Amino acid sequence: MKALVVDDSRVMRQIVIRTLRQAGYDWVDVVQAENGVEGLASVKAENPDIVLSDWNMPEATGIELLQNLRGSGLDVPFGFVTSEGSEEMREKAAAAGALFLIAKPFTPEAFAEALKPVLG
Amino acid sequence: MTQELTQAFEPDAVEDEALFQIVDQMWASYFSHVEPLLPSFERHDITGEVMCASVGIAGSRPGLVTVVVEATGARPVSAALLQEDGDLLDEDVYDSLGEIANIVGGNIKALVPDAGALGLPAVATAKPLHGSSGRLAARLDVSWQGHWITFEVWLAGGAPRQDAAPAVSRTAPDETLED
Repeated sequence: MKALVVDDSRVMRQIVIRTLRQAGYDWVDVVQAENGVEGLASVKAENPDIVLSDWNMPEATGIELLQNLRGSGLDVPFGFVTSEGSEEMREKAAAAGALFLIAKPFTPEAFAEALKPVLG
Repeated sequence: MTQELTQAFEPDAVEDEALFQIVDQMWASYFSHVEPLLPSFERHDITGEVMCASVGIAGSRPGLVTVVVEATGARPVSAALLQEDGDLLDEDVYDSLGEIANIVGGNIKALVPDAGALGLPAVATAKPLHGSSGRLAARLDVSWQGHWITFEVWLAGGAPRQDAAPAVSRTAPDETLED
């Protein structure tokens, strides 16, 4: 299994990966991208089993990444990890095809609950 | 004019207690391995060199969330967030402080009706200057390992607070971070 973590902050990518491990997914390989443009290229190159993406990023945002993935016929499972967890953002995420939205600050328990249907 | 601005916006839930809850939750999530934050019941204006991370809230209800850290505390806070003991690069310190502002800003935005987009975080070695169009909606002063950190939320509209003293810009002589 492989997860793609997309975030323009290296610090937050490290925290997401650390939390993924703490949630019990230490057996999942992780690849990283810095924005939505790199994320799209990485999905095509790496064929991950899940994408964990920030929302606000330069070049292309997380929602643009998701729209571009679906527009390209790529249906990789996709979840947001973002500081914005309002109901409006959750509705936007779901409407675009995201499986979940994990709001920062998050816990390993939140990761485990969101990822279990995808990663087991 | 103040009354007109107050009436122009729906009431928001941004207040000191809400800001404290957000910061406290962030600390519990990412900093539980280090000492807890010590909130101050009195305003503490940081003197000396600082680093400031900020994130803007755009739209019809603009705002700014700022995190001002004593320069000497910036690197320890960043190391704690990253859980790395070695020497951090300056870019990691900027990145860490920006993420703290981003997390607080995103959660503050959820409390503001009709808020627009959250901006990308910016980090500088200077205190923020606030325009007259904003009001200090919430403020939290905390100390951690002897370093002071100030969180502020500025929003358009509403009545000014009694303790909303204008901030004075202070620029560090150079951008080299100190331990």
